[in-house]
Amino acid sequence: MDVPSKSNKAWQDIVTGKKTFQLKFLAAKILLGRLTRTVKEDPSPSTISSSVDQLYAIFSNNLNMPSVQDDLKTIFS
Amino acid sequence: MRQTISSAADVKKMIEAGRKLLLAGDEEVLRQLPKGDWIAGTIPYFISGDQGGMVSRELICTTDITDLVTSIEIIAYDQNSLARVYTEGPKNGFSFIVIPAMSKTHLSFALNAPNYKDFGIRPLIGWIAGVHLSDLGKKTPKVLDGITGDVLEEGALVLQAQLPEGKVAEIGIVNLFEQGDGDILTFTADDFAAKDVMVNGEKRNFAAYIVKNKLDTKLPLVADYYGALVNISFQDVDEVEGLVKFYAPVFSGIRYKHAKPVIDYVKEFNDRLSKECSIESARVAFSCNCILNYLYSELEGKKTDPFTGPVTFGEIAYQLLNQTLVYLEIMDV
Repeated sequence: MDVPSKSNKAWQDIVTGKKTFQLKFLAAKILLGRLTRTVKEDPSPSTISSSVDQLYAIFSNNLNMPSVQDDLKTIFS
Repeated sequence: MRQTISSAADVKKMIEAGRKLLLAGDEEVLRQLPKGDWIAGTIPYFISGDQGGMVSRELICTTDITDLVTSIEIIAYDQNSLARVYTEGPKNGFSFIVIPAMSKTHLSFALNAPNYKDFGIRPLIGWIAGVHLSDLGKKTPKVLDGITGDVLEEGALVLQAQLPEGKVAEIGIVNLFEQGDGDILTFTADDFAAKDVMVNGEKRNFAAYIVKNKLDTKLPLVADYYGALVNISFQDVDEVEGLVKFYAPVFSGIRYKHAKPVIDYVKEFNDRLSKECSIESARVAFSCNCILNYLYSELEGKKTDPFTGPVTFGEIAYQLLNQTLVYLEIMDV
């Protein structure tokens, strides 16, 4: 599965905490622990956009990991 | 599993044969080794496959990655340049890092790594070098660069390993601690020490709170990072000064809880592994466990199959962890 574009609303839903998922990719979980807190404290469009960029980057740079593939299916299927 | 406990003579032969090695051992024995493709940190405590937990100043814990990688490069960083560690990681591979305990770089990495540019875009695993506990205050932890022969007590060494096409590196953790049912604890600053804590939103002196509530400080604080449980271990509680010190920093805004007790580490470890059932020992290239687990759970002589490796002053799985086993899997894709 390819990484859906950053404009896909699911990315925004994750970093704002609107939707939560049980993920496998350790780096994404640690990053999201920080990003969701940051966005909760400052839900401005720029903070949300920056958070989506960071989350998208670690998924797209680790696309060949089995855990990343599983997580993409969990989030986007 | 490619981790073994070897004599210095055997490790010397491996180095001379051109093997690519991740090493852990007492400083004196590591200093005897010839130059070659290796990186090391000081520590004389290990979990071996046959003896379980053990301590030795003569033997060396050896992880042979020769057959897994296509090339390696060893980079020395300082506390400032280490901020590039994720960005500069190999595109298809992993970075293996060793940092001396209590160095400026250790403290800086612990506090700042989660905010380094490109956090998590490349796998980063490693550990914090230490010393025999009887040498605390007498010797400093060190890291050794086999290629240059440098021995550092300040800075960090990172071995960047490239993997062949069709292979991928994944990092995992095994943390037996879970959040307990007690108060929600938050802090107002990112720091290795705290005087004050917010207990369910109410400001209290943390040392007095620990004493009054008789918290067992062998059990860490546990934070839930989107399902990943991250521990902060207690170093010292000074009731007179009203100060609590930690082995890793607490971060402001994160909600911590004191951990539930782990009665029998090895039994619960085996129960956890049998439930998860997803870890194949043949794929585990490296693992290490925390010296606090070794001490508090009395792991000397006890096995934690399929995981062996050094017993460390801190574990790194993308960021610094405490009282956690971390492991690296190399798998086909």
